[in-house]
Amino acid sequence: MVLPALAMFILFGVVPLVGVLVLSFTQWDGLGPIHPSGVSNWRVALKDPGLYHALWVTFEIMILSWLVQTPISLLLGVFLAGRQRYRSFLAVLFFIPLLLSSAAIAITYKALLDPNFGLGPGLHLGLLTQDWLGEAKLAVGVIIFIVSWQFIPFHSLIYQGGVRQIPTSMYEAAAIDGAGRVRQFFSITVPQLKYTIITSSTLMVIGSLTFFDLIFVLTAGGPGDSTRVLALLMYQQGFQANQMGLASVIAVVIVLLGLFLALLLRRLGGSTTDSQMEGM
Amino acid sequence: MTTSRRRFLQLVGGGAAAAGLAACGTSGPKSSGDSAEGAAAAATGATYWFLTAQPQQGIRENQVKRFNAANSGAQIKITEFQNDAFKQKIKTAIGAGQAPTLIWGWGGGGLKSYVDANQVDDLTDWFGQNADLKNSIFPSAFGAATVGGKIYAMPVETTTPIVLYWNKRVFEKVGAQPPQSWGDIMDLVPKFNDQGIAPFSLGGQSRWTNMMWLEFLFDRIGGPEVFQAVFDGKPDAWNDPSAIQGLTEVQNLVKANGFIKGFSSITADSNADQALLYTGKAAMMLHGAWTYGNMKSSGGDFVTGGHLGYMNFPPVDGGKGDPSNTVGNPAQYLSISSKASDGEKETAKKFLSTNTLDDASVDEWVKTGNIPVVKSAKAKLASVTDKNDNAWLNFVYDTSADAKSFAQSWDQALSPAAAEALLDNIAKLFQLSVTPQQFASNMNAVLGK
Amino acid sequence: MAVATSEARATARPAGGGGDGGISVGRKLLRMNWIGGTAGWLWLVIVMVPLYWIVVTSFKDQSVYFTHNPLSLPTDPTLANYRLVIESDFPRYFVNSVIVAAGTVIPAGAIAFMAAYAIVRGAGSRFLALTNGLFLMGLAIPLQATIIPVYLLIIRMHLYDSLLALMLPSIAFAIPLSVLVLTTFIRDVPKELFESMRVDGATEWGMLRTLALPLTRPALVTVGIYNGLAVWNGFLLPLILTQSPDKRTLPLALWTFQGQYSINVPAVLASVVLTTLPIVILYAIGRRQLLSGLTAGFSK
Repeated sequence: MVLPALAMFILFGVVPLVGVLVLSFTQWDGLGPIHPSGVSNWRVALKDPGLYHALWVTFEIMILSWLVQTPISLLLGVFLAGRQRYRSFLAVLFFIPLLLSSAAIAITYKALLDPNFGLGPGLHLGLLTQDWLGEAKLAVGVIIFIVSWQFIPFHSLIYQGGVRQIPTSMYEAAAIDGAGRVRQFFSITVPQLKYTIITSSTLMVIGSLTFFDLIFVLTAGGPGDSTRVLALLMYQQGFQANQMGLASVIAVVIVLLGLFLALLLRRLGGSTTDSQMEGM
Repeated sequence: MTTSRRRFLQLVGGGAAAAGLAACGTSGPKSSGDSAEGAAAAATGATYWFLTAQPQQGIRENQVKRFNAANSGAQIKITEFQNDAFKQKIKTAIGAGQAPTLIWGWGGGGLKSYVDANQVDDLTDWFGQNADLKNSIFPSAFGAATVGGKIYAMPVETTTPIVLYWNKRVFEKVGAQPPQSWGDIMDLVPKFNDQGIAPFSLGGQSRWTNMMWLEFLFDRIGGPEVFQAVFDGKPDAWNDPSAIQGLTEVQNLVKANGFIKGFSSITADSNADQALLYTGKAAMMLHGAWTYGNMKSSGGDFVTGGHLGYMNFPPVDGGKGDPSNTVGNPAQYLSISSKASDGEKETAKKFLSTNTLDDASVDEWVKTGNIPVVKSAKAKLASVTDKNDNAWLNFVYDTSADAKSFAQSWDQALSPAAAEALLDNIAKLFQLSVTPQQFASNMNAVLGK
Repeated sequence: MAVATSEARATARPAGGGGDGGISVGRKLLRMNWIGGTAGWLWLVIVMVPLYWIVVTSFKDQSVYFTHNPLSLPTDPTLANYRLVIESDFPRYFVNSVIVAAGTVIPAGAIAFMAAYAIVRGAGSRFLALTNGLFLMGLAIPLQATIIPVYLLIIRMHLYDSLLALMLPSIAFAIPLSVLVLTTFIRDVPKELFESMRVDGATEWGMLRTLALPLTRPALVTVGIYNGLAVWNGFLLPLILTQSPDKRTLPLALWTFQGQYSINVPAVLASVVLTTLPIVILYAIGRRQLLSGLTAGFSK
């Protein structure tokens, strides 16, 4: 009964996984035959500063987007957990960004942020008329903002669910003991949400490894290589520079990183709900 | 039971992996003989991919229409892609054994990578049999179509040097004169910036647009030998003082805000960079001659009213390069996929000989402000009545014909791997995140790749 | 488990949404959460401004777009942009996306459900435990990383440039999460029910159909919606594995369209609206199901 799923997963999941490893030891330009080439790709890749830069950018985006998304999602989740009708109405609207494809979102923001024709110049707001996608630091910031825009609704939902499960008796007891709201938040809400935080963080972190669509459409890794995450480096090496073997090395790095982070987070929280949702 | 099951699955898994990736000798399944036509059983129909962007797109579509009208038994089916998407898709298609019969390209290193993978047919003999056709084409255009002494592509379409365009209206408004030297260019930059006009429009995200600047600077400063050394793979070719100077000068231009704000997020695909010139947001633009047609049709009265100025790139003071030299695309090239069926190849060859450089095509190219790669083009120019077009066409023709050296675009001359490294470093150079020396050492590392 | 708990919570609290009677101190405090409140309203603005801009601009003509205030309502609304999008073959791309989504969600749901059932019911088998572990590990692996071997595999299977090529890897990568969520739900079905059916002579397959399936339906719907959304919005697979325009799915078509019409921002935004509209409509209809499923499934 389990065989169809297992077979499918092995064929299109495990086999490609082994495939990346095997391909990383070959030389293939995507056009002609595949030649085995030993560890030369690995040697080249590990010496290439481009790889480390991509690692750095990937981590930068991963950590910064976590730092931005988690507090906001937490706050919003608590807010939405309240029972007022208008809050559930807000939740409906909040969820809409998740319905858009990353490609659609990237296209929209590309037009919105155009320094010559976008929202900033249109409204004559100097502050909004920066070279958002053309300056390295700004581009990274924009990506983090867009990622947050897209996924905070999702994480707020998770936190909302988590908050709804905190027994109100705990808050009552604390109130009776004279604890103020801020104190209650930090001593009750946050610790009770530990597993939720781990779940949400795992989703965010693993998901951030898969960011491709958004960055590809928005900046193509630019300006220069300031937003070139690992997935983009892999695409460029494989499909633009005709170096499939090298691209496979990068793919192996991504897989290893994913496994490592998943295990790490599991250690931290003992939760079993890691997933690859974010990047879709 | 569990152990043997597990072992069985491991075997299955391993076997699948091995089977899937083994047989790596051949590059893909058999030819795409049945992928050409859906409904009609015409086994000789062929497929043809090319770029979008007018007016070239329309002209190619018309060529195919004329061919299909005259050849009801074997139709050509077309698919169109934008520039950057095309460059990637064509490779995936070839790698998947689903290449179109007619492969459009820029020749040079890209073509060589197809040749090395046995993906395109040798056309030398065919040209031998069709000597009239061959002789009608500019001889210099065959350079980028030749690999290892054999011809693998036919030069078609147009010869497009890179041209320095300027907006006459904007220049008048500011009271400036078109630059006669690099020094003039640097002087003009603050003049325009002070008036809130960008000195140069640039579609920087496409990267090859930035590259055009370096192509000219290298040539004007040190002559075509500088890049030739790179192309030949001479060690440390990028450390040539002329090269370093070229790299430095372009960074000076960037630092002086010579390029429009946000240039690194503007792509050339969408013609947004051209729009900036003809709407007057930018004063000048360095771009290919192929853009004339679009600026004429989309720019309102910009071209038709005679407000478009153009010139060859000015010399650099103290530079060795001949100011008549130019760079760009000597032609566009069509190759025939070696994996196509014989019937498809016949159709393709027929198309090449009857429809790519026929009179109708040549006329259309000339009408849209382009010089087709045929010797008969010069005669056609005399019949162009529109005085703007006439002046432009003669300019392009003379520039191409008189150039002592017409260098091919670097990213097409080099191999794909080296080209990618080049474009990458150029992007960083324009971002000011690498120094000229770093650029040179990065590029020296991929010489001859 | 999670469903049961939140039900319990609901009954513990006073009944009636937004009601005021008999509020516990904790809830009153939650209600006066002004920091959260400000954040909420601020976030609403941040969410709605781009969405509003998209819709409003899509009705403007291109020439107007460059000159007028971006946030103003169109003085002369036009449907020309939408017409352009529809003429650019978008209905076909829509159909393609539907085929790929259905072709992924239904098989993935079916086989994941079977697998989840087997894993829960066969709790003692080492093989099944290992399989479950394998699936869990699969959660940590991004689909993007395997694109090159998948490309190779699809070529060898002669499936390049087909919609099937998009479905198969998507199914494979949907399995880990689907199995995870489904096992959680199936575990909630009390063992006694299975025992009593077994006593009545039911087979495993029978029990799967008549007992587990109805009880797990909400989870199946959630999983289906989640997978469907992921596949509907997928970009990398269509980018690499298809080439003919008639095999394009919506996100890829959007990108191609944008590349061609980039300066015509209103037209580009019209395409964004049209491609998102079906999902928004589905969302409006099925929202409750999706949200409750998600919250229950992930907030354990």
